Order: sequence, then structure tokens, then C-alpha cells
Amino acid sequence: MLPLFLLLAVSNLFAADHQWVLKQSTLTYHVSHPLHQSEGVSHSARGKGICHEGQCDFLIAVPVKTFDSGDSNRDLHMIQVTRGAEFPMVTVRTRLPEAASASETIMADLEIEFAGQTAHFKQVSFQVVTQGNEKQISGIIPATLTDFKIDPPSLLTLPVKNEIPIHVEMKWSQE
Amino acid sequence: MGPKAATLCLAVALILALIASPLRAQDASSTLSGTITDHTGRVVPNVKVSVKNLATSQPAETQANSDGIYTISNLAPGDYEVSVSAAEGANTASVTLAAGASQKVDLVLNVTPPSSEVQVGNPAAAPAATLPNAPSTSKTEPSLEDLGFSKTEIQSNAAQQALLDKRTRMLKIHQRMGLITTIPLIATVVTSLNAGGKSEGTASRDLHVALGSLTGDLYGITAWYAIRAPRIDRTRKRGPIRFHEAMAWIHGPGMILTPILGAMAFEQKNDGEKVHGIAQAHGPVAIVTAGAFGAALVSVSLKF
Repeated sequence: MLPLFLLLAVSNLFAADHQWVLKQSTLTYHVSHPLHQSEGVSHSARGKGICHEGQCDFLIAVPVKTFDSGDSNRDLHMIQVTRGAEFPMVTVRTRLPEAASASETIMADLEIEFAGQTAHFKQVSFQVVTQGNEKQISGIIPATLTDFKIDPPSLLTLPVKNEIPIHVEMKWSQE
Repeated sequence: MGPKAATLCLAVALILALIASPLRAQDASSTLSGTITDHTGRVVPNVKVSVKNLATSQPAETQANSDGIYTISNLAPGDYEVSVSAAEGANTASVTLAAGASQKVDLVLNVTPPSSEVQVGNPAAAPAATLPNAPSTSKTEPSLEDLGFSKTEIQSNAAQQALLDKRTRMLKIHQRMGLITTIPLIATVVTSLNAGGKSEGTASRDLHVALGSLTGDLYGITAWYAIRAPRIDRTRKRGPIRFHEAMAWIHGPGMILTPILGAMAFEQKNDGEKVHGIAQAHGPVAIVTAGAFGAALVSVSLKF
């Protein structure tokens, strides 16, 4: 009985302390073209954070094809230039100290996999608003096309700007 | 038994055998197969897989090979429950076998108690244990499986990418050719101001005809690249492309009708007649066609 109790105690020691689950999200990319601006929105991101020994590892993923710009032709073109059929997911990984959730601002180092490339973004700022057991996080990821080796798509032979900032709105819940 | 009776018996037996053989083959020709993996995607070898016919409760079982692949043959058509249980976890799925069909059911071992049903053939369905709100199976870093994405959503599709690449290539040419076509189109409209005048000379009319012909040829190439660009399944058309395509139903027929009416008007003018009859519609049809073409171009270029 005692060895069993010890075994259970040890295994519990190494178990995840708690988790964060992404409840709602709105991810919006912005593209600028000399003739007009456009943006694509996705509400289909899923995410989870596992906290252990004071550190939380987060993974957020969203299918490329779920971004909707209101123009099916543009969306298909976006999937093509970002090689979205070959690399259908955008994933974001980050590690944060557990204590960060109590702050009003989080500075996160992000590892983003997109279009078959991995890019690192250092010290991206996110605002945190606490509502009971939930945290609302918002911020802008300063992504560019060259970060992911994406050829700038063009319209009427004019290419879009390199900057494609991604506006992030997320609601996380602790479990 | 006489030789005639013996021959008759033999013939009947042969016919019965021929009839019975395919019937037997039809009864037991369904096959169920698949791969057993754990939650990390690794194959689980030598695990026992059981199936049960839900109508007859007839069980059958097999063991997956060293690659985690199992096959159960000679199953009657019907609804089955497929279950797998191992030290790594368990799972159960439902499947309907059609007569003579080979159905593939891959099973992922859930660490938590097995989900009651996995809908086979629906990529959106995911085992309950891999839904986003379920506890993570990892103690350190979450994985895509933890987030509950189906294999279909995560899987790379090179064929689809090639199709998208081809579509983009063709539509880029369509776009460029459309822009190039605009130049002779405008020139044709401009030269039309002199082509229909009272002048006896034919030079301005000839120029108008030449530019119109060039416009028609370039328009044909432009249209070909749009029409032949691959269609992507399950894409609902939204946004300016719908207006762009609606305009094509105006300028497409217009681009055919305009030169026909133009040829009639040209003939009448060359004969020293005033343009009359249906040929009089050449100008208005051309204007509507050019207008629709311009509107189609602008609709995909500018945001309104």
C-alpha cells in the first residue's frame, strides 16, 4: 500500500499544475495594396497552455483556410501564396512565467510556424484584462511576408506591402 | 439412373454451383482495415482489434501487425462496432460496411476512457479526449493533437497546392491579358467616332476594324485563361468576384455580337448605304460591352 501511495505521490508531482484553454479568438491579418486595404479574419484558433513548475507552455493553432476576407478569390490566392494546402496550419508557441498572467502587459517571445517557415518574434507586447477566471489578451504581431519567405502577391502588377500585422484578440480560461 | 438422368443431374449441380459461388462471395467480401496509433501519432503494434456486428452481435477479432495495421476480412455487410484496447489506451468506432466494400477505420488510442463513438468518414469529428477542453495528455508542452484538430485538417495536400498554383498562374495571365486588352479596346472605341462618319474614305473604318479585331483576339485569350483556370471544390464565391463574373455574362456575348454587327455595318457603309437594320445596334452593343468589361476590371481592382 505504501509503495503505491508513494508512486501516486511522485507521479502527481510531475503532473501538469494547471492548464489554460483558449475559449474565443479573433485573429485578423491586414494587407496593404496601393489601390486598397484588405483584412482576413479567423475565429477558428484553438489553444492550450500547460503550466508546470512556474512555467506555462502555450500552443495556439489556426487553419490557414479559415481566414475570411469577404472575397473568396482573394482567400484562395492567400492560401496559394502562403502554401496553405501544403502547410495548412499556423502555429504559435510561447513560454511564459505563470506570474505573467497577473500582469496587465505580457511581453512574449513567439515562435510562429507558417507557410513552411518558422519565425521568431521577440518581446511582443500583449495587453491583459482579467474578468473573473478568464483573461482577455490583445496585441499585434508585427509579421512581414519576408519573415515567412512569402512572395508578395500582386494585383494589376502592383505588389502588396511587406508588412502584414496580425491583430490578436483572445479569451483564455484557467482549468 | 440412366445416362440421360445422370447428365441432367450433373448439369443441375453445375448450374447450382455457378449460382451459389458468386452469392457466397458477395456475402463475405467486405473488409475492414486500418492503423492503430497512440495520441502522439505513433503506431501501436500487435494490439487486439475486435469488431461486433450490431445486428447479429456476431463478434470477430484480429491482431494488428508490427506496423499497427489490422485487417479483418470476410465480414457481412452491415453496421459494426470496432474497438481496440491496449495498455496505451482504448477507443471504439462505428462503421457501416457495404457489400463488397473495403472500409478503412484508423483508431487513435485515447488515454482517458474510450469515447462512445467516432463518426467514420467525417473529418470534422474528433475523439472526445482530443477536444480542446479535454485535459492535455502531455505534462509539458501541448501538441496539435491536444487541440483536437482532425488529421485531415493538419495533413499536407500537395495535389491541392499544385492545383492552387496552376489556378494562380492562369489567373495572373488572365489579369495581365485583360489589362493589355484594355488598350486596343479604348482605341477601338475612340476610332469609332470617325468610322461611322459620312466620309467616303475607308481608312478610319479600316483602322477601327483592325483595332476591333485585335481587341477581339486578345479578349479571347483573356477569357480562355479565366475559363480554363482550375476550379477549387467546396469554395463558395463571395465578394467582388461575383460581380466580375456577372459582368462576363454581358461582355462575353457582347464581344461576339459586336464584330458581327460591325461587319454588317462595314459592308453597308462600303456599299455607300446608310447603316440600317440590325447593324445599327453595333454602336450601342459595343458601348455596353466595353462598359461591362471596364466594370469587371474595376470591380476586382478597387474596394468600394
